[in-house]
Amino acid sequence: MLRFIGTRIAMGALTIWVTTVLVTLLIHAVPGDPVQIMYAQSQGTTPEQIEQVRRSLGLDRSIPVQYLMYVERLLQGDLGNTIRGGQPVLEVILQRLPNTLVLAVAAMFIAIVIGVPIGFLAAYREGTIVDIGLMVLAIAGISMPHFWLGLMLLFFFALELGWLPVSGNDPMNLILPALTLGLSNAAIFARLTRSSMIDVMSQDFVQTAFAKGLPKAMVLRRHVLRAGLLPVVTMMGLQFAFMMGGAIVVENIFSWNGVGRMAVEAIFQRDYPIIQGFILTFSVVVVVVAIAVDALYAVLDPRIRRA
Amino acid sequence: MRILSDVPTRSAAHGFWLRLLRSPNGIVGLSIVLGLVVCAIFAETLAPHNPSKMGTGGRFLPPGRDFLLGTDEFGRDMLSRILHGSRITLLVGAVAVGISLTTGMLIGMVAAFQRGWVEAVLMRGTDVLFSFTETLIALSFVAVLGPSLQNAVIAVGVAGIPFYARTCYSAALVETSKPYFEASIAAGAGPSRLVFIHLLPNVLPTMIVVATLGVSTAILAAAGLSFLGLGAQPPTSEWGYMLAGSRDYINRAPWLMTIPGLAIAITILGFNLLGDGLRTSLDPVERR
Repeated sequence: MLRFIGTRIAMGALTIWVTTVLVTLLIHAVPGDPVQIMYAQSQGTTPEQIEQVRRSLGLDRSIPVQYLMYVERLLQGDLGNTIRGGQPVLEVILQRLPNTLVLAVAAMFIAIVIGVPIGFLAAYREGTIVDIGLMVLAIAGISMPHFWLGLMLLFFFALELGWLPVSGNDPMNLILPALTLGLSNAAIFARLTRSSMIDVMSQDFVQTAFAKGLPKAMVLRRHVLRAGLLPVVTMMGLQFAFMMGGAIVVENIFSWNGVGRMAVEAIFQRDYPIIQGFILTFSVVVVVVAIAVDALYAVLDPRIRRA
Repeated sequence: MRILSDVPTRSAAHGFWLRLLRSPNGIVGLSIVLGLVVCAIFAETLAPHNPSKMGTGGRFLPPGRDFLLGTDEFGRDMLSRILHGSRITLLVGAVAVGISLTTGMLIGMVAAFQRGWVEAVLMRGTDVLFSFTETLIALSFVAVLGPSLQNAVIAVGVAGIPFYARTCYSAALVETSKPYFEASIAAGAGPSRLVFIHLLPNVLPTMIVVATLGVSTAILAAAGLSFLGLGAQPPTSEWGYMLAGSRDYINRAPWLMTIPGLAIAITILGFNLLGDGLRTSLDPVERR
């Protein structure tokens, strides 16, 4: 198991290292002069000031030197300063990251609580009208753009019925964005749970358990559910990454003050230090969650634990 | 005799179409996709008005007899805009998937065929990019290239490469270990023959299924970027962009929100169903 986790951690470290390289190169891929572009929107910047920014970003040095400078600052927890406002990027991100994580975790909770029972029920009633109905619902759910779902929920629950607030960052405001993000992923979990459960139910050890005369509820709980949920656990890591991505859109619909909204604003304002910081933060979060999920998987599956 | 029965024959292709048309997913999906293609090709003829002409009707006319889907904040006919938007949507899906599919298949097949360090570099690199997630890759690309529909399509296409490369790699790996492949190596077939005559046709069915499902992912991702303002720019009748614009009039004209969203959802549903149908028709294991 240690070896399994060790490989995952090494892979994660490689990913983060590649991110730092790409993030350094990113600014050079911008067509034209990045410093000019960044400051194009702020008026009254003198050429001297621009030169100074170029120097402070290290853009007058060679790319390898820039990379080393970037890593050196990174190790000191310095992600640079924002172009607009001059705040430390790390501070700006840490202020907003908890909001995004809360949203993603709440959405994951909703997705699992709704998706897994639906998938289980469909598998249990495989081939019946219940199964077909639920799966039609699931494919409709998968096909529904989350930005559209968000707008519709906003329209009905916040504007028409007036039950929930339109936007902001209170706990009540979490409901609509989390539902938006959670419902579109619930359908994915439902489909995955269904196919995994059907797969497990046809396997020999389940047939044996039934043949032994164990009560149906016990077979389902102890044998089918446990084995059938393993792929769902694996999927959670990948789904979390999707949620982080989906959060970018959902945060913008509901004005939820997370890193996704910050990133989109930064793209419009050409605030490259924030974009760089966002990309790095995003991949660190995704990598850490993926490793945690793999560790959980190893704990749950004895075949991996003993490997 | 077994080898003979494995050779795709005319009746095998016939059986495939029959299975596709008999599966509810396949027939519904195919109808939706064909319908979209017809809308896109004949948009000029089908659209009752010029999609970008302002003041065709009054502002915010609800759906009715003169304007079937109503009009928007500039008095433009929504039906015409949706019809013309189908061209953009299908083009976006096709180009983005084209980028992901060709590059991904090339990487996957070369890795599976060459093995050794080439395989290690290509597949580990793919793994790293894959854990970046498509959203992050697409967003980074748009951040660098700047917001425009063209850049959004490139971004979505590039973001999909790791997934296609991985899928093609595993499919190709299965083929290279089969006896027929070893036999053609023994018979002295060169690399290009092995890759293009043997590997390509055999991984293609899997990749067609993946690409069909991928069209919906790509359309969704590009519409999402346009929705955020990072893709299509005005006055394009791109559906995601139209949806974003509807937010300001959500109370006054809810149809501006419902209609483009429904158009995107139906398109994605069509490709998802068609992909599902293709998979069950092509894959004997799934056939129940």
